[in-house]
Amino acid sequence: MNRWIRELSVLGVLGLLLALLAWRAPAFFQLQPLLSLLAREAPALVVACGVAMVILVRQIDISVGSQFSVCSVFAGVLAAAGWPLAAVVPVAVLAGGSLGLVNGLLVAWLGLPSIVVTLATLVALRQGLNLVRQGEFVNLPERIQWLGLPQAQGQWLLITGAVALLALLAWGLRHLAVGRWVYAVGSDAEAARLAGIRPRWVTLVTFVLMGALTGIAAVMNVVQSPQVQPLTGSGLELKAIAAAVVGGVAISGGRGSLWGVLAGLLLLACIAPAMVHLRIDAYWEKAIQGLIILAAVMVEGVRQRRNHGR
Amino acid sequence: MAERPLLVFRQITKSFGAVRALRGVDLEVRAGEVHALLGENGAGKSTLIKVATGAHAPDSGTIHLAGERLERLDPALARRRGIACIYQQPALFPELSVAENLALRLEPTSAWRRVVWSERRRMAATLLSRIGADIDPEREVRTLSMPEQQLVEIASAMGAGARVVIMDEPTASLTRREQERLFGIVTALRREGVAVIYISHRLEEILTLADRVTVLRDGQTVACHARAEVDEAALIRLMVGREVDQLYPASESAPGAVRLELKGLCCRAAGGRPVSLRVRAGEVYGLAGLVGAGRTELARTIFGLTPADAGEVWIDGSRVSIGSPQAAIAQGVAYVPEDRRRHGVVLELPVGQNISLAAWRRIFPLGWLRGDRERSEAEHFVRALSIKTPDTDAAAANLSGGNQQKVALARWLATRPRVLVLDEPTQGVDVGAKSEIHRLVRRFAAEGMAVLLISSDLPEVLGMSDRIGVMRGGELVAELPQGATAMDVMSAALGQTPSEGAA
Amino acid sequence: MGAEPAQLSTVASARASTWRRWLLRYEVLLLAVLIVEWLLFYHFGTTTNRRGVTVGFGTLDRQFDILRHSCEIGLLALALTPVILTGGIDLSVGSLLGLCAVVFGGLTHALGLPLPVAAVVTLLVGAAAGGVNAGLICQLRLPPLIVTLGTYSLFRGLAEAFTRGSVTYSDFPAGFLMLGQGRWAGLPVQAWIFLMVAVGVWIWVHRTFSGRAFRVIGFSPDGARYAGVGVRGQLTAAYVAAGLIAALAALVYTSRLGQAKADAGLGYELFAITAVVLGGTSIFGGRGTVTGTLLGVAAIAVLKNGLATLPVVMRMNAAEELAGLLTGALLLAALAAGKLAERWRRSPAG
Repeated sequence: MNRWIRELSVLGVLGLLLALLAWRAPAFFQLQPLLSLLAREAPALVVACGVAMVILVRQIDISVGSQFSVCSVFAGVLAAAGWPLAAVVPVAVLAGGSLGLVNGLLVAWLGLPSIVVTLATLVALRQGLNLVRQGEFVNLPERIQWLGLPQAQGQWLLITGAVALLALLAWGLRHLAVGRWVYAVGSDAEAARLAGIRPRWVTLVTFVLMGALTGIAAVMNVVQSPQVQPLTGSGLELKAIAAAVVGGVAISGGRGSLWGVLAGLLLLACIAPAMVHLRIDAYWEKAIQGLIILAAVMVEGVRQRRNHGR
Repeated sequence: MAERPLLVFRQITKSFGAVRALRGVDLEVRAGEVHALLGENGAGKSTLIKVATGAHAPDSGTIHLAGERLERLDPALARRRGIACIYQQPALFPELSVAENLALRLEPTSAWRRVVWSERRRMAATLLSRIGADIDPEREVRTLSMPEQQLVEIASAMGAGARVVIMDEPTASLTRREQERLFGIVTALRREGVAVIYISHRLEEILTLADRVTVLRDGQTVACHARAEVDEAALIRLMVGREVDQLYPASESAPGAVRLELKGLCCRAAGGRPVSLRVRAGEVYGLAGLVGAGRTELARTIFGLTPADAGEVWIDGSRVSIGSPQAAIAQGVAYVPEDRRRHGVVLELPVGQNISLAAWRRIFPLGWLRGDRERSEAEHFVRALSIKTPDTDAAAANLSGGNQQKVALARWLATRPRVLVLDEPTQGVDVGAKSEIHRLVRRFAAEGMAVLLISSDLPEVLGMSDRIGVMRGGELVAELPQGATAMDVMSAALGQTPSEGAA
Repeated sequence: MGAEPAQLSTVASARASTWRRWLLRYEVLLLAVLIVEWLLFYHFGTTTNRRGVTVGFGTLDRQFDILRHSCEIGLLALALTPVILTGGIDLSVGSLLGLCAVVFGGLTHALGLPLPVAAVVTLLVGAAAGGVNAGLICQLRLPPLIVTLGTYSLFRGLAEAFTRGSVTYSDFPAGFLMLGQGRWAGLPVQAWIFLMVAVGVWIWVHRTFSGRAFRVIGFSPDGARYAGVGVRGQLTAAYVAAGLIAALAALVYTSRLGQAKADAGLGYELFAITAVVLGGTSIFGGRGTVTGTLLGVAAIAVLKNGLATLPVVMRMNAAEELAGLLTGALLLAALAAGKLAERWRRSPAG
């Protein structure tokens, strides 16, 4: 159980928040709004999984928000052009994967610092999208709304889909050799090399996977609204990184789990609606998010130092 | 004993720049024996290990494993062939569990293979119990102590089917009980037919464990004996070898008043023990001892890097408190650290900027950079210490080891120190630069500095020091006058009084 | 001893190639790119309209516009240069700009403080916010990236909370608006401010020991400690100064637009970091110059404004987007070229 202590403590904080809500504002627990909230966060969860894996290999990707926008608009355009959803999904995944490949090649092959590479692709992709689309919204056909299902069913499907994807990735990270390599490379790339693992290859795969997940998330986003607006996803990178850090993924690599990311994201996602229900000024949301990130990193710092003795 | 040797080194040589680390080493290790490798610091043991594990390619000479010549040895090949090395600082994945650390090295490297955790745990438990280590395979490696991490390394070597296991000072940081457990493991390895190359400074260990002993000196094999043929005194003689044959500059001045006095000084937080000693102005006080005897730790405490939490420092008769390197500089204490490339100089920085770095308060009034003053200061030291550099704007990285060391010295001389602490000032420096540095140290003393010279190079300590303090286990165990012999120093450092050694 | 003649010959060749080294310096290359860029825009972006008046890139007004618009991001880039030189990063400067703008608006409007007092308090708030970053990074030794990611969210959140997301402070007195809209001695007023800060930071980084210490810390934090450099003090100074300059940028911003809102400076940190890295400062610390940062800022600003004057781009109405795209590509190209050059330089030796 010691292994899960960090995840459990985040869940504990989330539980406290929910208990407070149950006591002060039971209205929070109405099914439909809650369902909408979770469905809205489903794409962010998928993206956060990808970002968490990138952090696990001791890299960072701040371009996910832009990748997400590009994939969303791309998927929207295809859908509007009459493509069936079954064709849109793989193409969006492919598009996201190739964006991830670009980042991955620059980082893993050229050995450039990932923070600067993804800063550049963040700006370039965002502006490139604006250049091509001129801020135009994409009107989506009715048939792909909620995957063609009634709204509630569609929401359920998105939520379970996102969680299932997370579970699958978490399983892979835990039970496939390549998943363990992600941890090994993040923990000590040189030791990994000596153990016969190719760190560059693992890094590249992680970035590509990150992009592919963003593609999936983009489709999950597109089916939730009648239009795609090109600014969708700006700031998503920070939300995803915050969810990972709060959920206990160490920024120094090699430590953390996707279940922690789930807990972290839920905590961050519940703050805004909880504030509404608790009649706290909603404009404090970002400040509180910032404080949570700082608290998480401080807890982590103290824990690290205690473990390293002295 | 007519067995064919398992691992054979023939006439291995290796140079780093002008430094000849190995000049023709022969070594034969048999299966199922514990072969001790003995020698002073700098005799070439670590270089030899690195050649054996493929980390360094030898300049000449041959390596045979089980009769087969190993060419173009690299770390991966060495491991495949069953040569494993347990370093003092194990190279494990700190965030991962013990079982996983073992598995990552031992399992096949196919990416999409299923990981069976129960199997990993069972394998880890088996390996750990085989070497008698009581470690939970589930624990994260970063929560293990250093000796426990060594045990994990040994288990990994066993799991990889190592035929040769090299142990580099495995007991350096171990408690008595941990040592005994390790000895049990070494004996078990021998029983399984593994060749163990055992490197240690602790003679009593070698005499209990080893079947044969090879002694290195100055990069050459001087002797190989069976355990029964030698005793401690003989080993010390072999290690020390010749009398001091190099010419050391004579002391030019009579020591003056007490300049530096430590009274029970230590930093407990960093694991230090109280040390008291006095160094006079104009005196070179040599600090001898084995690696890990606590000399560097003492120096770091004097210099305020790990500020003292007990004891007192007196300089020129007044008590001073040194809580940081800045305070040390203000009190006229200078420390030239052991790790030249990481701490002594900033490699990317030009020579001139390296020299002015510590004395900036004097050279740059009010923190205002003055190129002219910096240049004249740097040129002064380049001349005075005859530092070979194209100009003072060349990056320190472009200089040879000896000249980098002189730059590090210049940096601290520029602070005009009263107390100069030198930590292994001639390590990895070629012969010419070495004797130049010796002459400089003498001159500094003659100018009135109190010099504390930490050195593992015995002839250097003997030749340079006006008095010699010997440290062991964090404490000052002996103070010897000038004219002490290598035997005296080694005996004290190894924890043998001469009479005991003779007995 | 055999090495000696070789070393002597390096002395000679080092002197002979001084001018070549100077020409190949990153800043000089960047300056050349900038000049070419400017000339191209001057040529293609300047037209004469029917009434015989010159319009477009070549006009003085346009050049002043470029200056005005690049001041705030330029200030942030200057603030970030020392921080990045130490091997750190500060993502929170854009948010801090927003917070300080709102604080200034609140102080003058809600509390009715006189302008100079409010300005000074705002600067102090900026410095204190920088101090928060510094404390977390130096005292608790937490990673700068995550700490400033947290304060990025915190500072912006505080700005939104203070204004409840919607309050916009406007109606500043004309005297204050001079700062962002007026001219002094022929140049826009904020250009003078920018120039002063630039000279100040340049002196700090290149002419004082503190700047030397930033580099040393960036190259080797351990090496700095062993040399008796006060690492904590220097780092604290760098982050506090970053906060202070961000507050100054907030004042300029407020004055230029005549209003203070919580979203002031949103995303500016990205452009500022881009400018610094494009200017040749290593994200790992140690290497970099203030001149490089200024050239990086100028390259981005000229690109953005120059593109807007090209007839083709005007027809597409896509100057900003194209500039962003090109800036990102330029940044990647600069990085990749540097890396490949380094590999190529090393391969014959090793």
